[in-house]
Amino acid sequence: MRKLSLILFVIVLSMLGLSCTGPTWQGWSGFASYEGNLYFGTMDGRVLAINMSARSQGLSFPSEEEWLLTVKRPAPAGGMCGPMGCVPAAQPATIYATPAITDNIVYIATYAGDSGKVMAINRLTPGYDAEGIPAWNEGEWFYPRSENKYIGSVVGGPIVVEDTLYVGSSDGKLYALDEKGDERWAPFDTGGKIWTSPAVGDGVVYVSNYGGKLFAVSSTDGSLIWEIELPASIASSPVISGDIIYFGTFDRNLYAIAVTDGSERWKFEGGNWFWATPMVKDGVVYAGCFDHQVYALNAITGEKLWHFVADAPIVAPPMLSGDFLVATSESGEMYILEPDTGNLVRSISIGYQVMAPLYAEENMVYVHARNRCVYAVDVQSGDNVWEFCYSDIE
Amino acid sequence: MAELWNTIILEPVLNSLIALTTMLGGSFGLSIIVLTVVVRLALFPLTVRQTQSTKAMQTLQPRIQELQKKYGKNQQKLQQEMMKLYKEAGINPLGCLWPMLIQLPIWIALYPSIMQALAATPENLLDLSQHLYSWAAVGNAVPLNEQFLWLRLSRPDPNLILAILVGGTMWVQQKMITPPPTDPRQQSMTSMTTMMMPLMFGFFTLSFPSGLALYWVISNVIGIVIQYFVSGGWGYLRAPSAAKPAPAQAPGQKPVPAQKISPIEKQSKIAQKATEESKTIKKASDEKRRGLFGR
Repeated sequence: MRKLSLILFVIVLSMLGLSCTGPTWQGWSGFASYEGNLYFGTMDGRVLAINMSARSQGLSFPSEEEWLLTVKRPAPAGGMCGPMGCVPAAQPATIYATPAITDNIVYIATYAGDSGKVMAINRLTPGYDAEGIPAWNEGEWFYPRSENKYIGSVVGGPIVVEDTLYVGSSDGKLYALDEKGDERWAPFDTGGKIWTSPAVGDGVVYVSNYGGKLFAVSSTDGSLIWEIELPASIASSPVISGDIIYFGTFDRNLYAIAVTDGSERWKFEGGNWFWATPMVKDGVVYAGCFDHQVYALNAITGEKLWHFVADAPIVAPPMLSGDFLVATSESGEMYILEPDTGNLVRSISIGYQVMAPLYAEENMVYVHARNRCVYAVDVQSGDNVWEFCYSDIE
Repeated sequence: MAELWNTIILEPVLNSLIALTTMLGGSFGLSIIVLTVVVRLALFPLTVRQTQSTKAMQTLQPRIQELQKKYGKNQQKLQQEMMKLYKEAGINPLGCLWPMLIQLPIWIALYPSIMQALAATPENLLDLSQHLYSWAAVGNAVPLNEQFLWLRLSRPDPNLILAILVGGTMWVQQKMITPPPTDPRQQSMTSMTTMMMPLMFGFFTLSFPSGLALYWVISNVIGIVIQYFVSGGWGYLRAPSAAKPAPAQAPGQKPVPAQKISPIEKQSKIAQKATEESKTIKKASDEKRRGLFGR
């Protein structure tokens, strides 16, 4: 009987262990910056504003212009409780999407299992109350407007172009919202979850989905202009440069697509998935790949100019800072490269995983690492100027 | 340790699921079903052995009841004698749990495999990229369709249908192989074992991805079918749940005096009983030795 109890105990314990591993989403928001402040979503479902000057001086948080806002968890409908907890449990909210910012408003999009919300927050003094209701009369709002209504969870960051906010969601829809949070046009349904940011150019919104499709949609009325289908999923956001859209896919190719009709200009095959959003500057496309390499390609022909081999897959998009190209591997190794040759100038170890997009300003690069800390790194000297960990902040 | 686990269990399960999905026209649900069948086929010899043990235990029931009568007051002695009896007949009374225990690593690997293959979260998708083989059937398979019948395989079934199916099939399977307790004092323990697991797994189904629950349902159904054909019927599912105690004496009824037995008759009955006992054990052993196709 003891053996029987032991076997049952092992089985039940294993199943409980499986069920208690907790949510697997933690988020990896990048930064939006305005007047010396960084705004980003934390891995524990909060929105944080930190002042770069205050952090470099090591002042206690919050100093002037700094604040913290907790995103409200969506309440599950019809929850059912038992000895092991409640099913469905309240989904914790987190933030993957890099915020967008205008003069006074920070736009955040949240991820909570199947639920997401777009929030407009007054960046000077957030007016959201303890119930998660915005200060409507101060320009704050959330979408959908009803407290208990949600769109699909959001992974790709929202973008603001000419008073319109564009955001794609896991429910497969592209939303266009005005400055009051009202729909500009009926959401455009792509039919597959959107985990990327849209891109806008010349009155056209380009959005890709996980089903491997890229859509060109009129920014005026949300009507479809053209669409193309590729052989695999797309997790890299499209980037427009001139008359070409660049993005990578899971079929190991980086594509250059004509904005006019979606025809393929060229494609470049890497050794694994292209996840990171590419960066285009001065006729060169810089793209990080899961094959541990950073590629520099001729933007017109797709010809490889150089490649650099990192220690781990590249998840965060490469970025230009001053005269250098900065690429960070998933393992937390930061590489400072010469953009013309790909030669390594120096490498800096963050020491923790990095998935979030970097933010660069002058010679400084800001990194949101998986240990819930923000690092400010001087790429000229390679010094870690300051770091700020938010997990202890109440 | 984690790398060893990934290499030996997680990656084979994950990549097999994705490759099967490609081969089965993109249906991830069908690929889970096929994987379940393959796993159960691999465990077939063990399942058959366990089923035969169960049937052998059935033949030992009269002998167990006798031991019960004899050592009813001394639980420790009773347990010892029963274990001795099982040992003589070559039966492991816990055998019914081994197929479940052996499948445990598969369940544990199936959970992250489903979450990663179906990209339930962005982190899952990143993890997936680290565990994919360079097989052609796997490389370009993403995205996979997570819809199967009414289920989203990376999410729990919002209805109770799957929970009932998991609990129900598990209860039937347990009931078929669990002999009714001979001791009324064991009845609560046996009932708890038979009921607790289906109830708990039914409850787990409400919070686990429905792909995993689909595995449980199919695995249970296969177990029931094997059990049915190997033991030649529904086993203890149709048997009374517990040995009934002797009917109480009616009020006013006179006790029946014990028959007087002569010493020679007594000697002969003891010898006869010993022969029957040895026949029962032999029958149980034979039952166990006999293969599925050797009857």
